[in-house]
Amino acid sequence: MTADEYLREVLDSQALGDESDEIKALQKHRADVEKLIRDNFKDTALTIRYAGSKAKGTMNKESYDLDIISYVSSGDNTAGESLEDIYGNHKKALAKKYYVEPKGSALRLKGCDPEDLGVDFHIDVVPGRFTDETLTDAYLYQSGGDKKRLKTNLDIHLDHVRNSGLIDAIRLAKLWKVRNSLPIRTFVLELAVIKLLTDKKKKSLSAQMEHFWTELRDNSANLTVEDPANPNGNDLSKCLDDNLKSQLAGAAKRTLEQIDSSGWEAVFGKTEKQEKVARVEILRRAAAVATPSRPWLPKA
Amino acid sequence: MTWQRDDPALYEQEKAEVEGHFPELRFVVENSLVYVRGSFAVMFEGQVLDRYSVELHLARNHPAGLPVVRETGGRIPRRDDRHMNTADGTACVLLPDERWRLWPPGSPLLRFLTGPLHSFFLAQTMVEEGEPWPFGQWAHGAKGIFQFYRELLKTSDLRVMTTYLDYVAAKKVKGHWSCPCKNGKKLRDCHFDQIKELRENISRKDAERSLSTLKAAGASAVEMTEPTSTVQRREATREESSG
Repeated sequence: MTADEYLREVLDSQALGDESDEIKALQKHRADVEKLIRDNFKDTALTIRYAGSKAKGTMNKESYDLDIISYVSSGDNTAGESLEDIYGNHKKALAKKYYVEPKGSALRLKGCDPEDLGVDFHIDVVPGRFTDETLTDAYLYQSGGDKKRLKTNLDIHLDHVRNSGLIDAIRLAKLWKVRNSLPIRTFVLELAVIKLLTDKKKKSLSAQMEHFWTELRDNSANLTVEDPANPNGNDLSKCLDDNLKSQLAGAAKRTLEQIDSSGWEAVFGKTEKQEKVARVEILRRAAAVATPSRPWLPKA
Repeated sequence: MTWQRDDPALYEQEKAEVEGHFPELRFVVENSLVYVRGSFAVMFEGQVLDRYSVELHLARNHPAGLPVVRETGGRIPRRDDRHMNTADGTACVLLPDERWRLWPPGSPLLRFLTGPLHSFFLAQTMVEEGEPWPFGQWAHGAKGIFQFYRELLKTSDLRVMTTYLDYVAAKKVKGHWSCPCKNGKKLRDCHFDQIKELRENISRKDAERSLSTLKAAGASAVEMTEPTSTVQRREATREESSG
């Protein structure tokens, strides 16, 4: 199997079909959050949409978050006069069902019932207000930092990723981030992949990834990324500081060494596409020598 | 109580062992609580069969208490039949009363990861592939407790079972007490050694909890006869065919 065939298998194994349990659960979460918001802002014209990897087509089965935007129309003050009010009122609305943790422009939802107190549901809600009637650019409130207002454009972000021609490389980079516990924001990683591989789109996937890691290993100190929706107004340098660059360089160096010494499977694990029967047979063999422990659920 | 502050050497030892065996897992201390996070590999003969994103929240009284386990990748549906708590997403890895068999109190955390936790995720992968639970599963709630003690004590008599649990949960046990097997003998002349062994293996807290759960459920805990393990299933099939 070639390196590219192997990487395709890695991506296939991480794919989430529309009918998968994970996607159905995600859709239910979105419906719950949307209902909660709409019930609280009955008189408000709201645009609620998927915004993260679900919308970009970059989801990996191993780890994903649910990002939802909730934007108010430009002339609508029913959800709050200022951006801070809109943010705060969304926080109040969501707090009826969740523990809400402010996280930059987003509100991260966590459990608030005694049995799930503080459990991270990996759902981010981003409130905002469209700048005009074209429903394109939007202003977000920033709970931290010097500037309290951030201009953005969801469609530019989505198009930047979706039309990058680098979806596969982005998905592999995201998987690499998870496997190596790298604390880089996914949005920043996506921008870095696109920046470093823009002129490598015609290369094979394995060549793209090797180039990406080589650049991180050798030139991460010079790496900068720009928000395509707001290149001058949204300073991302804090999201890619020297400490993080050093971590990325170290992980990239180790990864390239792994490829060199042990092959690609050392990076993402063995994902040899086995016939279902063969896989089940291996699983059965594994079970035969495993500790025979039976799961139990406390509640009947 | 923060075990990692009370016993920093143990913390370093657990961290080194776990991170050495599972390089994609990391120890993190947040608000005085210890978490183990990262990608958990399901392995067989040096081959990674599957991976799950996990978070283990180690008990404040670790290693006495059981870790709380969560699958953080959102891969396993939060459904009762997958042994995932629907409300908080915690994984129901084992029945606490059975802990002594799988991860005795005081054992290294690595043993929990390579033992019951590995089996739990291996089983999840097999169920995802359409296979039955490879090691069987306990029924939910009181019925599962009943199943466990039925196997352990070899009795289906709920009254006998609860008396055993009463004795395990008691602060002290006296030899002149009646034996829970109800044969009229004193404990010292009958199942005293068995009670002693049970008390060594099952914590009073777990016994108390199981006792109250069984008492609350009453006869409804017994209203099931489904074999629970692969072995039992095979035995049941054999009995059916020979009967």
